[in-house]
Amino acid sequence: MLNIKDLKASIEDKQIIKGLDLSINKGEVHALMGPNGSGKSTLSYVLSGKDGYEIDSGSVDFKGKNLLELDVDERSNEGLFLAFQYPMEIPGVQTSFFLKTAINAKRKYQGLEEIDALEFAKLVKSKAEELSISPDMLKRDLNVNYSGGEKKKQEILQMSLLNPEMAILDETDSGLDIDALRIVSEGVNKLRNENNSFLVITHYQRLLNYIKPDFVHIIADGKIVKSGNFSLALELEEKGYEEISKTA
Amino acid sequence: MNNLSSHGNKILNDFNPFKNFKLENYKYAQLHKDHTSENFSDSSYDYNELLKISHNLQKTDFEETDLSFKVDKWNFNSVDSYFRVSSLSSRSSLTLNLDNFSQEVLLVDVNHFNENISFTKNSSKNQTLILITSNISNPEPRSIFFDLAENSNLEILQLALSNNRSFIYFEIDQSDFSKMNFITFQSNNNHIRNEYYASLGEKCELNLLGLNFKNNFINDNFSYIQHLKPSTASNEIFKSIVDNGAITNFQGKIYVDPIAQKTDGYQMSRSLLLDSKSKANNKPELEIYADDVKCSHGSTVAKLSQNQIYYFKTRGIDEQTAKNILQKAFLIEIIESLQNKEIKDFSMKLLDNLI
Repeated sequence: MLNIKDLKASIEDKQIIKGLDLSINKGEVHALMGPNGSGKSTLSYVLSGKDGYEIDSGSVDFKGKNLLELDVDERSNEGLFLAFQYPMEIPGVQTSFFLKTAINAKRKYQGLEEIDALEFAKLVKSKAEELSISPDMLKRDLNVNYSGGEKKKQEILQMSLLNPEMAILDETDSGLDIDALRIVSEGVNKLRNENNSFLVITHYQRLLNYIKPDFVHIIADGKIVKSGNFSLALELEEKGYEEISKTA
Repeated sequence: MNNLSSHGNKILNDFNPFKNFKLENYKYAQLHKDHTSENFSDSSYDYNELLKISHNLQKTDFEETDLSFKVDKWNFNSVDSYFRVSSLSSRSSLTLNLDNFSQEVLLVDVNHFNENISFTKNSSKNQTLILITSNISNPEPRSIFFDLAENSNLEILQLALSNNRSFIYFEIDQSDFSKMNFITFQSNNNHIRNEYYASLGEKCELNLLGLNFKNNFINDNFSYIQHLKPSTASNEIFKSIVDNGAITNFQGKIYVDPIAQKTDGYQMSRSLLLDSKSKANNKPELEIYADDVKCSHGSTVAKLSQNQIYYFKTRGIDEQTAKNILQKAFLIEIIESLQNKEIKDFSMKLLDNLI
């Protein structure tokens, strides 16, 4: 699904990703853990194609295509999704309109007709209910005056509507209370199947109790320094990043 | 012109912005330059849909009147308006009482008139007047007056589309307890200036909101809102999107008289620049002589947010679509303020088509 080889990437001439290798197969959930400033969010921005990030070397293959050659919207339409740590507020754009536009962009890319209004309404209603998102919220401007939890739920709603093959969740657990964490995690778990993959970026093991990863990687100073299974996350929680990184 | 008072003559001779580019109130309008664009293309907008939901006022509905006395009846404190004096001294005038019409939506195509026009309204019946000031290519200013009697109310939608040169003076006189909702929609113009002079009596409310986008050369809005009695409220919002080296100007003054306690005045001008060639000049001014008032003003000039565009693109939406949606989102607040639902829906569609 996603194959990252010796990736080096910089922002404003400062290299943040310093030779990162990561391979994620169909149906797998990988967790990426690391301290502040280790390059976690940078990796998610680089993979999504955000402006300002320079690829110095390396390659990223996504479903057999060179991901780095695609524009941001093409990557999304190809099936890559990034759930943001800090979702953008978009005043003046109603949430449901945004969702419909995104769904139709993907359908257009796939050569399908625009979604029928009734079908859209039903689809959004059922997905929103699963995430305990009130219908009233869909009428509000996107992410404007949403609480931290509502913003994260909105990201997961978008993910479930776009049904990506590869989803990157960038610190989706930050700012969530326990109830919201459970709801968001359940939303992710519902989407999990043998055909899609997840990269879950987090500081804490807590989220991984809800979204059980197949693999856990530790990133430090722009490189993956240790990989393992779920027990690595537990070990990390106990010993801390510094200790684990030393033994790598 | 010979009958003009010395005041009138002074304005015409000494405060002519078409000759003198140093006048403060006309500072950015560049009226001294003839920017008639030879290759300006009149887009003919289809008003048929509008005619279905409105009653089209004809010239025969109006009465001839002499408004030249207004030249010396200047109620505002700063320097007089050249537009007002020159149009009153060079054009004849017509009046119309909006109460004579039972229809809720009335329409006037100003281009069919050579005269200044004065509208009066006495009732509190909900009425929306659509003023089409489009396809004008005439540097001679004209005046349009609104006289709102006590307790009356009126909504106005000005559609200023596809003007090569259009220079209009609006005067709004609100008697006590009256309400006015004035929305101006400006697009695809070459060189236009609108002046809005409003005078508010006790417990009056005035909303003056404008949007402009896709203009070619200069789009200039000037306002002077005068709170003359206690407990008045004015709410002013102008939003513009500028590209292709065009210039948008907003100059607005709020004046609060010493007796106008409990005034609530708000003024905001916001511009989006789509490229580095374009310009926005925003000049807000407050002149307050009462102490128990709430007045605020603000002004912003910004670009489209790259982070917002990026967010759209991560959801598969292409850049151009994202930019169009964000531009519309920026302007939509102005359309939302229209009270008449049919007119609001029409304006929303118009915005969709033009953006």
